[in-house]
Amino acid sequence: MSPQESLSENDFQRLFAMEAEGRLDTLVDQLLELEKGGATPEVVASLFREAHTVKGGAAVVGMPHVARVAHALEDLLEEVRRERRGVDTALIDAVLAGVDAIRALIPLAVAGQDHEAAAFDAEQRLRIAVGGPPVVDDRAAAAPDMPVPAPSSPAPTTMAPPVPSPAPPARAEPGAPPAPAREHDAADGVVEAHGAADGAAGHAEPARATATEMLQIPVHRIDELVRLIGEASAATLRLGSALLERLERDPSSLTEYRDLVRSLNELQELALHARMIPVMSLAPRLRRAVRDLARETGKEVRFETRGEDAEIDRGVLERLADPLLHLVRNAVDHGVEAPDERRRNGKPAEGTVRLHAMQLGSEVVIAVSDDGRGIDVSRVRETAGRTDRSAIEMDDEAALYLIFRSGLTTATKVTGVSGRGVGLDAVRASLNAVRGRIEVRSDPGMGTEFRIAVPITMTTLRCLVIKAGGQAFAIPLHSVRAVLPPQTSAMVGGRAMTMLDGRPVPISSLSAVLGMGNGSHGPAVVVAGLTRSHAFTVDELVDQRDVVVKGLGELLPRLPAVAGAGVQPDGSILLVLEAAGLIERARRIDSGDRSQEAAGGGGYEETAPQRAASILVVDDALTVRELQRSIFENAGYRVRVAVNGEEALVEISHERPDLVLTDVQMPRMDGFELTEAIRKQAALASLPVIILTSRGSDEDRRRGLECGADGYIVKSGFDQSALLSAVERLLGEDR
Amino acid sequence: MASAPTPRVVSGQLALLIPVGSDTYAVSLETVREVVVDPRVTQLPTSPAVVRGVFNVRGDIVPLLDTGLLLGLRPVMEEPYAVLVETPHGTAGLVATDMPLTVRLNESVGHSDIEGTTETYLVADARLAIALDIPVLLSPARISQ
Repeated sequence: MSPQESLSENDFQRLFAMEAEGRLDTLVDQLLELEKGGATPEVVASLFREAHTVKGGAAVVGMPHVARVAHALEDLLEEVRRERRGVDTALIDAVLAGVDAIRALIPLAVAGQDHEAAAFDAEQRLRIAVGGPPVVDDRAAAAPDMPVPAPSSPAPTTMAPPVPSPAPPARAEPGAPPAPAREHDAADGVVEAHGAADGAAGHAEPARATATEMLQIPVHRIDELVRLIGEASAATLRLGSALLERLERDPSSLTEYRDLVRSLNELQELALHARMIPVMSLAPRLRRAVRDLARETGKEVRFETRGEDAEIDRGVLERLADPLLHLVRNAVDHGVEAPDERRRNGKPAEGTVRLHAMQLGSEVVIAVSDDGRGIDVSRVRETAGRTDRSAIEMDDEAALYLIFRSGLTTATKVTGVSGRGVGLDAVRASLNAVRGRIEVRSDPGMGTEFRIAVPITMTTLRCLVIKAGGQAFAIPLHSVRAVLPPQTSAMVGGRAMTMLDGRPVPISSLSAVLGMGNGSHGPAVVVAGLTRSHAFTVDELVDQRDVVVKGLGELLPRLPAVAGAGVQPDGSILLVLEAAGLIERARRIDSGDRSQEAAGGGGYEETAPQRAASILVVDDALTVRELQRSIFENAGYRVRVAVNGEEALVEISHERPDLVLTDVQMPRMDGFELTEAIRKQAALASLPVIILTSRGSDEDRRRGLECGADGYIVKSGFDQSALLSAVERLLGEDR
Repeated sequence: MASAPTPRVVSGQLALLIPVGSDTYAVSLETVREVVVDPRVTQLPTSPAVVRGVFNVRGDIVPLLDTGLLLGLRPVMEEPYAVLVETPHGTAGLVATDMPLTVRLNESVGHSDIEGTTETYLVADARLAIALDIPVLLSPARISQ
C-alpha cells in the first residue's frame, strides 16, 4: 500500500469514526427509550437503521471486523423488528455491549491495530443474544438488501455500500444522486424540530440534517478562523486608534471604517456560531450512564432532559462532559434512594435525574438535579470538621460547599462509583478551566441541584471599562446590572449596604476587594453573579468596549476574580474581571471583617422590602423555576413558585400575585389552561400573565395570546434582561 | 506548540546572566526568547506575590515573575528588564534589575543549595552566577505557592 493510498483510506476511516459516534449515540438514546417501554415500530426501525448504516459505513471504509460486529447487532435488532424477539433487559444489555464494542473497535481500526479477536468476541456475544448458535450460518436473518461475507472468510474490501454512504465521496454514484430538494426541507426543519422537541422532554428524536448539507470540518480550522478574526478585530481597533492619533480623525466618523468594523463583527459572530453545538448532544452519554448505574445499584431512575435549543461552544462542551458525567453519576448513586426507601418516604419508587440547559445572556446554565434524599449538611460539616476545625462553625450554606473540597466524602462505603472523595473538587477544577462556576442547592428529603454556569464562547466580550486603584479593568456587560452615582452606604447587620430599586445590596470598594488600596469612592457598579448581586465602588467609569479575551496562560493559577485579559489597541493589557469571583471575594473579605465582631446580623437576603411586587413562577422544572426565582429576586421582586397550573391556582387564591409567569408544558394543567382559568375569574381579569416557552411556533403563540396571555416569550430568544424588561413593562401598566 | 525539554545550563555553553539586586543568575541561552527593556506591566490583583503582573509581547499576554521571590529571596523593587524564557507551560518573564549579558560558562565551581537552581559558575569580574533550573523554578505549582 502506498503512503498516499493509506492516507486517503485513513481519512475516510476518521470521517466514519466521527459519523459512527453520532449514530451510536442516537442508537443508545433510542434504545433507552425502548427500555422505558416505547417499543414503537418507528423506534425499532430507527434502531435497526442506525446499526445498518454503521455496518455499511464500516465495510466501505475498510473496517471489516467492525462491520461484522455491526452486522451481528443489526441481526439482533432485526429479530426485534420482526417481532421474533421481545424487548427485555438481556436484549438491551446485549445491544449496549455491542455498541460499546463497536466504539472501542473503531479507534483500533483507525490506528491500524489488531482488533480481530476482540471483534470476534463481540460478534459471538451478540449472536448468543439472538438466541441462536454462536456463529450464525443462517444468513436469512440478515438484512435482505445486503450481501454479507460469511464471518469465517475475510471480508472483501470491494463490498458494495449497502446504503448511500455519507462519508466517502469516492463512492458517489452518478446514477443515484441524492434528492436535494427534499433534503433541504429536512435541514430547514432542524431548528424548528429542536424547538418543538422541548415539550416532549427528550422523547423526540433529534432531527438530523442529511450528509449533503453537512460538511465535517476539523475543529482546528474553525479555531484558526476564529483566532484570525479576533486578530483582525484587534488590528482594526489599533488602526482606529492610529487614525485618531496621527491624522486626528475620529475613525467612527468614517463610513469605511464603520463598515469594516461591522463586517468583522458579523464575521466573528458567524465563525463563533460555527463552533456551537447543542448542549444536549451530551445527553445520550449521560442517559446511558444513568441507566447503567441505576441497574448496578438496583435503583429505578428516569433521566429527563430539557433545553434542546441551548447551544454552546464545542470546546467548552467538551470540557463539560466529564464534570456532567460525574454529577449525573453522583445523583444516581448518592441522591436517588432505593425504591423501597422512596416508597417508605411517600415518593414514587422511580427517582428522576434531570439535565436542564438554558441560555442566559452570554452564559449557558446547565443544571443536574435529582429528587433524592438531598445532601446531609450536618454530616458534611462533621466529616470536614475532623480535619478542619473551622468547618464546624460554618452555616449550612457555607458547609454545603465543603463537598467541593478535595478528599471529602460522606459516603460510608466505597461503591466503585463514588465514595472515594475524589470528584467534586475535580469537577470544580475542570469548570475553572472554562471559566465556569458551580453552585449547589439541596433540600433534605427533596433533592439536590448542581448548577453550572459557563460562558457560551470564550473569546470576545462586551465590557464596561472602569478604573479602580488607578488601574483600568473591564467588567463583562452581561454581569453589570446597574451603575449608581457616588453615594453613601448604610451599615445593615454589620455590612455596608446601598439601595438598588428599593432593595438593599451589599457594597464594597473594588480596589479594596482587589487588594489595591481602599481608595475607590466614585460611582458604584452593581454586578450580578449567578444568584447574588453586589455593588462595587470604582474610581471612575471609562467607556464600553469589546475585549478579545485571552487566558492568562497555564503558568499562573486560576484567579477566580479575573476572567482573562485583552490586549488594547495601545498595547496595554486590560484585565477582565469575573463577577461571581469578585462577589465571592467581597463576601469573604466582608465576613472576615465581621468575624471580629459578635456573630449575628442577618444577611441582605433576609431583608427583602415588604412592598416589592410579587411574581408567581409556574414551571414543573426545578431548574427553570429556580433560575427565574434567582433572576427576579436579584431584581428585587418577591417570588413564589408552583409546579403546575393547578398548584398555581391554589397559590393565587391564597394571595394574588402581581404577575404570573408560566411555562406551557406541565403535568395536570398546562400553561394555556392556567391562563384560561385565570381569565375566567373576574377578580383576576387584570392579572398580567406571561407565557415563557420553548415552543416558538406561530400556532402556539396564537393560542397563548388567544387564551389571554399578556406576553409570550420564546426561550430560544430569551435572555435575562428581555425577561426583566417584559415583566417591568407589564407591571408598570398594571399599577 | 509543544516545546522540547528545556535545556539546562552546562559549562562551556552560552548562557544569559540575569542580575537581580546583588545576585546574578544564569539561564541557558537556548531557553531565552528575548529580553524586553522596560516592560509595561499591568498589575494582576489577587495573584500570588511572585507575579509582578502581566505584559504584552506582540499580542501575547506574558506573566512577569519576581526572580528574587521565586527563589525565596528578597523581592525586587523595580523591573527595568524582563528576560523572556520558554517553559514547558508557556513563556514567562523573569525580572532582571540590570542589563542581562551573554557569556560562555566556565567549569562549575560547586553545587547550589537553593531549590530551583543547579550549579554555581564563576563568571567575569569574579562574580558568581547561579544557574536556574527553569522547569523546576517556573512550574505552576511553585508559582501558586
